Amino acid sequence: MQDALLKIWGLKKRYGSLEVLKGVSTDIHSGEVVVMIGPSGGGKSTFLRCMNLLETPDEGLVYFDGVDIVSADEAQKNRIRSEMGMVFQHFNLFPHLSILDNITLAPRLVRKLKPEAAEKKAMELLDRVGLADKAKAYPQQLSGGQKQRIAIVRSLAMEPKVMLFDEPTSALDPEMVGEVLDVMKDLAKNGMTMVVVTHEMRFAREVSSRVLFLEGGRIAEEGTPAEIFGSPKSDRLRLFLGKVSM
Amino acid sequence: MSAFLEDFALCFVKNGRWQYLVNGLGVTLEVALAAIAMGLVVGFLVAVVRSSHDKYGHFPVLNFLAKTYLTVIRGTPMVVQLLITYYIILRSVDSKIAIAILAFGLNSGAYQAEIIRAGIVSVDPGQMEAARALGLSYWRAMTRIILPQAVRNVLPALGNEFIVLMKDTSIVGYIALIDLAKGGDIIRSQTYSVYLPYLTVAGVYLVLVMTFTALLGRLERHLRATGADPVHNDS
Ligand SMILES: Nc1ncnc2c1ncn2[C@@H]1O[C@H](COP(=O)(O)OP(=O)(O)OP(=O)(O)O)[C@@H](O)[C@H]1O
Ligand SMILES: [Mg+2]
Repeated sequence: MQDALLKIWGLKKRYGSLEVLKGVSTDIHSGEVVVMIGPSGGGKSTFLRCMNLLETPDEGLVYFDGVDIVSADEAQKNRIRSEMGMVFQHFNLFPHLSILDNITLAPRLVRKLKPEAAEKKAMELLDRVGLADKAKAYPQQLSGGQKQRIAIVRSLAMEPKVMLFDEPTSALDPEMVGEVLDVMKDLAKNGMTMVVVTHEMRFAREVSSRVLFLEGGRIAEEGTPAEIFGSPKSDRLRLFLGKVSM
Repeated sequence: MSAFLEDFALCFVKNGRWQYLVNGLGVTLEVALAAIAMGLVVGFLVAVVRSSHDKYGHFPVLNFLAKTYLTVIRGTPMVVQLLITYYIILRSVDSKIAIAILAFGLNSGAYQAEIIRAGIVSVDPGQMEAARALGLSYWRAMTRIILPQAVRNVLPALGNEFIVLMKDTSIVGYIALIDLAKGGDIIRSQTYSVYLPYLTVAGVYLVLVMTFTALLGRLERHLRATGADPVHNDS
């Protein structure tokens, strides 16, 4: 197998006296869809945020595309982040910018794309998620599901090598979850490498190639969806799966 | 009625005294607008240094300097700052207008800095994260994403500071600069008439402030119409 796109080894992170990650290691290969599940406070978000260096790990290594990114300098880190997309629970669209500007800002500023080229690309992506008519709108004029689809498009406009999702549907009204998951399924089908923190177990079963169960700052169990959902080994995972709706 | 007309002629027409007010108004506007602009630049820089330090520990030395600046400016009267700038710091500078602009700009910068800092703090931290996750540098994220929202959130407070500054410039008479207030005072001293010069000066300041308030209100409405409602930031 070729070298992993993301190689994480011995990752540790503490906030004050609280050790949130206690040595996490895993490889994420191109085209994989890895779903991360686990109880609240288990360190899922922190783990995700260490991958694109929104948080700086205290110990451990993160290699992206063969490059040690923890010890990279600021300019390198900015470049590395621009190659990883991230989608947040609360969308974090820029409220003072139109949808089109939300999407084209980073391509223009970071990738130095010409405005016309950035807009063309943005319109193609908007079309793909069925929101081309919202290009001129502002974020607060959209529903939650629409905002999240725009947030995904905003990341995709940078043509990332991997997409990180932190509970992308948790802040949505139930009837809007589907439209966002559909976009994510479409991405997965087209070969996007994805790491997804979610409580949507059906999505995990249907789409993921591997499931990580993160608990107490460690990967307590991992395997294919069939293994994790079909024959969980540890009591803790069984307990956790029993609590989340399937 | 004829007594009023006589007084009016004496105060404003005779010897072209109206020019004291018109020229004075020019000085007032020049000092106020330039000082507002300078205060904005200083305020932005200080606010970014202060909030970056508080949040991420960036710029320890600059932060210390910024804090000292804020303490000194906010802890001493404006008149005293103006006199110190005129008689001590810029003793060799001839242009009184330049001196006044510097003194008021530095003074207003301190107040604007604290207002803008409050605005920066009020922006959802998710905004910075999203910007950084897209690969924007800290500075780019600050100027393109955080500051526009911060300013929008504190526009009323900022506008209030501009109005206070505009009225505060009426003390430039202390360094013998003839602004609107001093112009009215000169007319009074030449004519021994008190009502018309002072009431006219007061009226002109009032019109200035009301015009400015109206412009600011329009700007706020415009921002609200085109962009986000700053109170509901869950975007
Ligand atoms: N910036 C921070 N400062 C201090 N503590 C933090 C910080 N971020 C996270 N924590 C703590 O670290 C622990 C793990 O948080 P994390 O957000 O990674 O968990 P999670 O698995 O994503 O949980 P959830 O399902 O609730 O999102 C929690 O106890 C949290 O309170
Ligand atoms: Mg989380």
